[in-house]
Amino acid sequence: MKRVIAVVATVMFACMVLPAVSMAADAYPSKPITAIVPMAAGGSSDLMARAIEKFWTKYSKQPLVVVNKPGGGGVVGTEAVVRSKPDGYTLYIGYGSGHDVVMPTLQKMPYDPLKDLVAVARVSIHSVVIVTGAKSPFNSIKDVVEYSKKEGKPVTTAVSVKAGAVDLALTAFGKAAGVNIVTVPFSGGAEATTALAGGHLMIGGGHPSEIIPHIKAGRFKALAVVLPQRDPTLPDVPTLKEQGINVATWGSIKGLAAPAGTPKEVIKYIEGNIRKICSDPEFKKTMANLNQPIMYQGSEDFAKFMRQATADYAKLIKELNIKID
Amino acid sequence: MDIFAGLLNGFLIALTPVNLLFAFLGAVLGTAIGVLPGLGPAATIALLLPAIYVIDSPVTAIILMAGIFYGSMYGGSTTSILLNLPGEAASVVTCIDGYKMAQKGRAGAALGIAAIGSFIAGTVGIVGMTLFAPVIANFALSFGPPEKFSLAFVGLLLAVTLSGSSVVKGLVMMTLGLLLASVGLDPISGKTRFSFGVTELQSGFDFVTLAMGVFGLGEIFLGLESVIKSEIVSTKVGQVWPTMRDWVASRMAILRGTLVGFFIGVIPGGGAVISSLVSYAVEKKMSKRPEEFGQGAIEGVAGPESANNAASSSSFIPLLTLGIPGNASIAMIFAALLIKGVTPGPFLIQEHPDVFWGVIASMYIGNVMLLVLNLPLVGLWAQLIRVPFGIMAPIIILFTAIGSYSLQGQTFDIYSLVGFGLFGYLLRKLHFEPGPLVLAFVLGPMVEGSMRQSLLMSGGTFSIFLERPISLVLLGLFAVLAIGQAAVTLRKKFRTRTNP
Repeated sequence: MKRVIAVVATVMFACMVLPAVSMAADAYPSKPITAIVPMAAGGSSDLMARAIEKFWTKYSKQPLVVVNKPGGGGVVGTEAVVRSKPDGYTLYIGYGSGHDVVMPTLQKMPYDPLKDLVAVARVSIHSVVIVTGAKSPFNSIKDVVEYSKKEGKPVTTAVSVKAGAVDLALTAFGKAAGVNIVTVPFSGGAEATTALAGGHLMIGGGHPSEIIPHIKAGRFKALAVVLPQRDPTLPDVPTLKEQGINVATWGSIKGLAAPAGTPKEVIKYIEGNIRKICSDPEFKKTMANLNQPIMYQGSEDFAKFMRQATADYAKLIKELNIKID
Repeated sequence: MDIFAGLLNGFLIALTPVNLLFAFLGAVLGTAIGVLPGLGPAATIALLLPAIYVIDSPVTAIILMAGIFYGSMYGGSTTSILLNLPGEAASVVTCIDGYKMAQKGRAGAALGIAAIGSFIAGTVGIVGMTLFAPVIANFALSFGPPEKFSLAFVGLLLAVTLSGSSVVKGLVMMTLGLLLASVGLDPISGKTRFSFGVTELQSGFDFVTLAMGVFGLGEIFLGLESVIKSEIVSTKVGQVWPTMRDWVASRMAILRGTLVGFFIGVIPGGGAVISSLVSYAVEKKMSKRPEEFGQGAIEGVAGPESANNAASSSSFIPLLTLGIPGNASIAMIFAALLIKGVTPGPFLIQEHPDVFWGVIASMYIGNVMLLVLNLPLVGLWAQLIRVPFGIMAPIIILFTAIGSYSLQGQTFDIYSLVGFGLFGYLLRKLHFEPGPLVLAFVLGPMVEGSMRQSLLMSGGTFSIFLERPISLVLLGLFAVLAIGQAAVTLRKKFRTRTNP
């Protein structure tokens, strides 16, 4: 019965806190903070945001309320943050996803992700992992390269979406290794990994949160991590570079941002809270359950990192000659 | 652990007061959102995700969410029958004969048979899941892009035949539905299509908005006409319960619908929709009086409603045994399991037998709760028809507007809702059946995406659809159905010519 009481208490607490919005106050935060996730509920950005939402109240007297605003590949929700009042009461969780670091190079954006947003803190990086089915003859990246050289046939590859982080990483691998990679885009990571699990494609790519359950179930073999260093969630899987192929990308970055013009002390406050949350052992456990590595970075470092990642992706896209419009 | 011991253990877990309470909560919430147009299970479960952190035990959390999911399948038929307003894609088919039955004063019978059919199908689905889950899961995995294409293609053909009288009109509706579905992001190349620079159009139209507009608002606009002409038809509630004759007519439909729904529901993506379509088509073919279909045949309600409930049970199979979420609601439950540190997949039964069997046992209990909850409500819902149109219409418009706004919090969706409503009105004036349009809208992206994925896999040759056995069988079925339909039509024409 305790659990029931806990649920009821939470609801009542929420009812009591919400009217507090109308009360004017001095020190930030004096009312609940809205955190917009521009992706659908249940996705990896959303799960991370929900975990932060839960631990936030431990370190702040005002709650953080996650609101999903999906659409346009993430542009709709992010634009809502960009256009909101820079008072620290509207934040963006998921900063560094494909529509922030990849899309600006490929198409016209209604805002500048680097100039119209202030980086607050980085929480995680979702690397791209190259995988194959358990029954596949491939056991390493070398096997894939050799197959392609010997048979001269295209290697069909499941990727979540066209021109997303996974698609770019796999295409870059193909070009660097001289493998004829044919990427087959699906509508999201879950669908792509399902098709690969059914043995309908030769290899595929995905983020750890999507593929680790399949690896644990013995359905996938991980061939390589496409990051400069190994991924903490998959410490046994070598990087592409370790296997002699000079390709590395930043995968999908997940951090917090605020609209440009948000006061410095507000940024400091949120940054500090996120730092505390990231070192909370309970939060670490939750993130481990979600197969998302914690890779914290403070506001200034994260801003620098975002500029670097965007430039790296722009260079990669130019090299691969990928165009959308 | 063998099945019997596992299930027994599951019942012990599911019957604890807390779990019983949450199963009940889930069933009530599910029924409510199923009845309220626009609010879907996926959105409701998403709203409840934060509560998952508060509930300690993963079993309790999943019992609640599962209850919402299958509960909404029960409730979904209510508005389809009473108001011609499908809450989700799987109950579009129910509108056709269900609403006709309601107009003829047989709303109670339609609602009753839908609830009973849902109960039987749901329970049989869970029994099937208990016994055969692992075997069936692997069958689901064998559906790759070529197989999905062929399945969705057959689905499209079945959607056209729904139009009843005219195949040509059905084809027109299907094409329009496919065109509407192509607005937004191209699934393969990532380009935006037909958005004309409008940001809201970049993600395309939403199914719920389209269905509520074309069906619900279209119907209301037409109703306004007859009110203005002051031809208020006094609809009788009629007999509240299905008669013995109804039961005899629909018991085989329920059985067939259950089987169809159970097998097709396992396939990730669109399983429930296609199963309701297939069930309707099967019933029409098996019936001795196919001409009654579209005019209020009770089998046309019993079959598809059973099919979509069996499908909602069996869609848990890929999740619990493979860790693969087949639709948006199941994806939320997948996320909730992850939050609680339970990884869905083949090891779930061994690593977390409490979760697996607890959830299955709670589904047996939940289905009984739903029946007990819904049957007495049938009479109450049926009374709704007596509410004067002048009061009912604004309420429906209000609820559909709230429903479509709640999807993404965009006023744009309300505008498109009204636009689709006017369009639906026009269709009714021109005697077009909107069913194929809405279903083509759902199946279109599946047909397009899987076809282009298959062609990428094959290097551009179409033979991939014939080389794969499942796909070949499905396409063969398609050919037989199409030729059969053509032959029937031609023979009718020939007869009318020879016997004037």
